[in-house]
Amino acid sequence: MASAASLDLGRLVQEAEALASAVRGALGPRGGQVLMTRPTGETLLTRDGRRVLEALNLGPPTARMMVACVSSHHSMTGDGAKTFIILLSKLLRGLQAILDKREGSPFCEDIQRRERDQKHCHSLKQISQSLMTFQTHILDHIMAQDLRKHFLSAFSSWEGEISRDTMESILEAYFCGRIGNSHQKLLSQLSCDFYYRCIPFKNGKNEMLDLVNEYFLELHSAVTGLPVSNSRILEGLVLHRDFAVYCPADGDIRMLIVTESIDSALSASGLEFVVNAEVQYQASQVWITKRTEAIMKHLQNNNIKVLLSSVKQQEIVIYYAKISGISIVECLSSEEISLLCKTTGISPFIPTQDNIRSEIAETMIAKFCRPLVLGSKRYVHLGLTRTCAFEPHCVIFCGPVHGVTEQHASAFHGAFKMLQQLFKAVDLSDGCEINDQQLKTSLAETEKQFIDSSSLVDENPSCNQTDLQKSSDLAMPIVELESDFMFSALIDRGSSVRELQKLPLKCKHPSEMWVKNKSEPVVNNHRICNDAMTAIETTSTSVVSKQLNAAKEYWKPGNHIVPFKYEKSYKHTVQSYTNLVIQAGSVLSVGGNFEILLHYYLHSYAKQCQQPKLTVISTVIADALLSIPKILYRTTKENSFTQVYFKATSALQTNQQLPMHQQGLESVYCKYQLVASVLHCLTKLLTIDLIIGIKRPPQKTEVNDSEEDL
Amino acid sequence: MSRTEAKKPSLCTNDPLTKERVSFSLSVLSGIVKSCYGPTGRLKQLHNGMGGYVRTTSQSSALLGGLSITHPVLKVLTASVQNHISRFSDCGLFTAILCCSLVENFQRINFAACTVTKISRHLLSLCTDYLKSEACGCRISVDFDNIKTLLSLVHSILASKPACMLNKTEANHLSTLVLRAFLLTIPHTIETNVVLGTCVIVPVKDKRVMDSTVFPGLLIEIPEFQLARTFPVKRVSSSTIKMALFCISMSGDLSNTGEGTVIVHHGISLEVAVLDQLLNLGKQLVNDQVGLVVCQKVIHPSLKQYLKEHHVITIDRVGVSMMEPLSKMTGSQPIAALHSVSPTCYGSLKDLRTESFVSKHFLHLIPNDTLVCSLILCNRSEMAWDELKLACQTAEHVLQLTIKQPLALLGGGCTETHLASYIRHKSFTLPTNVLKAIDCSRTQYQLVADAFCRSLECVACCLEHDDGEILTDMVYGHSWSIQSGFPCDCNWSDLVLKCGCGIYNNQQNLNWTVLRSQCIPFAPQSCSNEPSINSTDHLILDCFTAKYSGLQVAVETANLILDLSYIVEDQN
Repeated sequence: MASAASLDLGRLVQEAEALASAVRGALGPRGGQVLMTRPTGETLLTRDGRRVLEALNLGPPTARMMVACVSSHHSMTGDGAKTFIILLSKLLRGLQAILDKREGSPFCEDIQRRERDQKHCHSLKQISQSLMTFQTHILDHIMAQDLRKHFLSAFSSWEGEISRDTMESILEAYFCGRIGNSHQKLLSQLSCDFYYRCIPFKNGKNEMLDLVNEYFLELHSAVTGLPVSNSRILEGLVLHRDFAVYCPADGDIRMLIVTESIDSALSASGLEFVVNAEVQYQASQVWITKRTEAIMKHLQNNNIKVLLSSVKQQEIVIYYAKISGISIVECLSSEEISLLCKTTGISPFIPTQDNIRSEIAETMIAKFCRPLVLGSKRYVHLGLTRTCAFEPHCVIFCGPVHGVTEQHASAFHGAFKMLQQLFKAVDLSDGCEINDQQLKTSLAETEKQFIDSSSLVDENPSCNQTDLQKSSDLAMPIVELESDFMFSALIDRGSSVRELQKLPLKCKHPSEMWVKNKSEPVVNNHRICNDAMTAIETTSTSVVSKQLNAAKEYWKPGNHIVPFKYEKSYKHTVQSYTNLVIQAGSVLSVGGNFEILLHYYLHSYAKQCQQPKLTVISTVIADALLSIPKILYRTTKENSFTQVYFKATSALQTNQQLPMHQQGLESVYCKYQLVASVLHCLTKLLTIDLIIGIKRPPQKTEVNDSEEDL
Repeated sequence: MSRTEAKKPSLCTNDPLTKERVSFSLSVLSGIVKSCYGPTGRLKQLHNGMGGYVRTTSQSSALLGGLSITHPVLKVLTASVQNHISRFSDCGLFTAILCCSLVENFQRINFAACTVTKISRHLLSLCTDYLKSEACGCRISVDFDNIKTLLSLVHSILASKPACMLNKTEANHLSTLVLRAFLLTIPHTIETNVVLGTCVIVPVKDKRVMDSTVFPGLLIEIPEFQLARTFPVKRVSSSTIKMALFCISMSGDLSNTGEGTVIVHHGISLEVAVLDQLLNLGKQLVNDQVGLVVCQKVIHPSLKQYLKEHHVITIDRVGVSMMEPLSKMTGSQPIAALHSVSPTCYGSLKDLRTESFVSKHFLHLIPNDTLVCSLILCNRSEMAWDELKLACQTAEHVLQLTIKQPLALLGGGCTETHLASYIRHKSFTLPTNVLKAIDCSRTQYQLVADAFCRSLECVACCLEHDDGEILTDMVYGHSWSIQSGFPCDCNWSDLVLKCGCGIYNNQQNLNWTVLRSQCIPFAPQSCSNEPSINSTDHLILDCFTAKYSGLQVAVETANLILDLSYIVEDQN
């Protein structure tokens, strides 16, 4: 008999909170390690939230679903598992509080008509719908409109180069969360080195990161029993096999890949070999040997020094290889073979009757090929010459126990996943062209007015002062407007006619800016405006690039009047030229800044939102977000959470840049993805109304399983 | 349909280090390793209640391998020590003791884990920088022209394994043998990358330790009946015997016939065809004047008989482990073909003899160029032999490590006490900007440094098991031990003879204090170029590479354990 139970929000809250408590101790730079034992008895050290959650072996189906959501998020971004579950638990708690209050809640309007259970279910469904609306419409919008101006760019130039300092601070912040402060410095140096040594030219970074992430298993080796400080990067590739034959060779070494046995057998599958006489048998044996010898001689004549084989070769092949001075590495995994093929662009050699006479084309050149002893294992060290966007290098992780090297390797892999995310951009989804009848809120109207005003600016620069004054009457908070116009003023060199000093700006040197605007020739008349205009931006890419260049030129002289001054010279992004919510390479400083910012802007959105459901949802999300900085600052003495929060909000109100407490940067895209994934997971959880226990194993199309392809 | 079983939920423990269970098992483990340390260490007997083999040992590798540890925290500790041993063979107990006492001492001061981690990592870097620097006062460089230092190194290792049951002359004899065996594996010609040869240990368990000896070349055990028919051997010249080494089976079985089917007509015997080939091969070998045929696998009796008739000695079933030394020693290439054998694959031997030990008979292959040697290791009891073999392997490994990095550390606890006094001195004179970088106060730093030094000194104290006292001097920071039962009113200088490593004799001006008592920090002096150095006797030395790495591994593991905030145990 199948047992069924309706979805209980209280239970969900309990489960999520239990999960969160398991990882809370490992969150942030001051968190500790988690020691896990496997059923096989081996121990593993980790601070990886996903690993911990998966190791818990939970029973309840909803809890399993949460863990599945965490896993899929983590495998995509390489980060954020702990934050995910903490945020989820807080959100559930917040929603429960709303439902418990019941009166005045927008989700419990028509309760009289229905039974209790049904109405409960109904309100959950409504919440889930509003969450969906929030995720698709409001989140992107707020990111684009409000948060974007706080983002920094990781790129030091407009071609997408990333300076070593910035890279280090991004990686350091990442490793801080993943492995704690014991070896984060070493690992961030290591991964930074690895990045710069593997990347041969500027534009190849995406290709290189894809390759590193796909073949990470082949690109690293672990040695236990040595101190962590012995970890290093090696030039070239390390194949996790020993030489079957090793013949030392100097200079450029020609190598060949084979995927089948060179020695042919007496019969092949599907064929019959008929022995008529003993002499015939002997002769055929001799012929096989001679053939193998001929192939090896042919390879030797073609100056092949190393044979890389994916299968085990016969002893006879090894014997002739030794005579011909050819080294052989056998039993390579298919991944290793495909990595070799990808980096060198060659395909495996198949000896046939025809080609053992002709020249061999598919060879690769190595600078060296020698045995390498790592710990107690002997490997093959190949110094390949590059032919693609990846300069072959590999990492050796050392540590006292396997658990440590494993942890470092997975954190290192995660770092490269994170970098992959960092270079991604988010397009403004089409849903954001707020035309939904649902969203006829004041916000949309504000935007329209705003668009009008800015188009006025564009058409008639001489009279923009009055327009600006008009626009300051709009429903938008005055603070934001100020910052918006400050930006447009900074960038908009073309419309130098503007009488900027009359604007209600808190700019430090308005007069100087004025002078600058005047003194420089008018290069570009295109309007480059900061925010909110993204939705209506229609300029083509070529124009965009021109604008970019103009802005870049302007940026240098005008740098010191930027009101948002940074301790380091991270350049402030001016991202208004394309339809992007988050530009590639956007970063924020660590320490809960993203959460505080989003919290702040969600709150201010909620205040002026006229849809009661969305107001409530926004408030719940905004409050849940604060739980992350709360945990981060729980143990520090000089910076308690209340102080940090107060400083941040007062800075935002007076339109200053957020104070930075810690060095280090984190990818905005990862954070954005995290919030989106959590909301998605929450929506999925709340749409379930009945949990049915069944006796036979579930089919593939079962609800819980479908979470895998989130 | 697959059988699915519900998984049991995992067991979670919060703040594991505060739990009784952990601290108890940690103290048991630390008690075991501490009592084993040093030449006077206590032996442990490992057995299981079901009977069977009993092992008496005091070596970390045998001990930790034998213990079955269930608690995950201890598993981490022992795994890291075992991994250290598998890399360096030596200093396993040192690492284990240091790690245990670091955990205990750091727990006692009860700071936040990340503060302790940061400070102890800084302290570790002070230690490693000091040990690496030229100014280091507790290391000496090993001179390969002078056998004495190397001999001291080997002797210290053998002497610190009491379960080998060696007396003084036996220890000296074995140290010489191990060193001689090692020197035989060093190639004569100098190339760019030197590859050391191998030393094969041959067990003979019914003779005295003093009967152990070293032979250049390989000893291959042969049955007695074969011994009679081995001679005379065919020689190319008076000092050259040609030899062929086969790595394939010569038993006359059919080779790989592929995935398809092979149809054999009636009356045709493939076995005969193969045997025919084998005999042809034999003919070629005889024509090529081969005097010795060695096969990794089995040789067909007919071929053996044929070769014997032509005065060719055959040895088969030598196994894969002997192939590498054989081919290295004789210069022969393992042959994998049964026809058209290239004459370039043959190797050569200088001489071939027979040797007998008790009931065992060996064929002694003497090469032209010694790269391979055999150490016949004798000991009366099986248990002591196992322990002795392990000790000899450790010594050989240490010598290999030392040739890579020709340095040695002073043993007998002197390195530990010297390092502790150096760290004490450094931590008192630490500049403030360093403290700022670590983000801690000076008091915090000094408390952690004190715990660190006490852990180091604890290792030195573990050398004393008979209620004696360990002293340290205020000049060199070496450790001095005095026996128990000393009168309390007498002067320390009347009681001490030599420091732990044996480098200093009793001098008047050294200010002795009891180790672990509070003393004023001082900068310990270096031992090099001092007139007072005792140059006649053996010194007690430790392997530099092993101890250097062991120190780092111990601190890292201790930090790891202290940083644990949660344990998830899978119960499946």
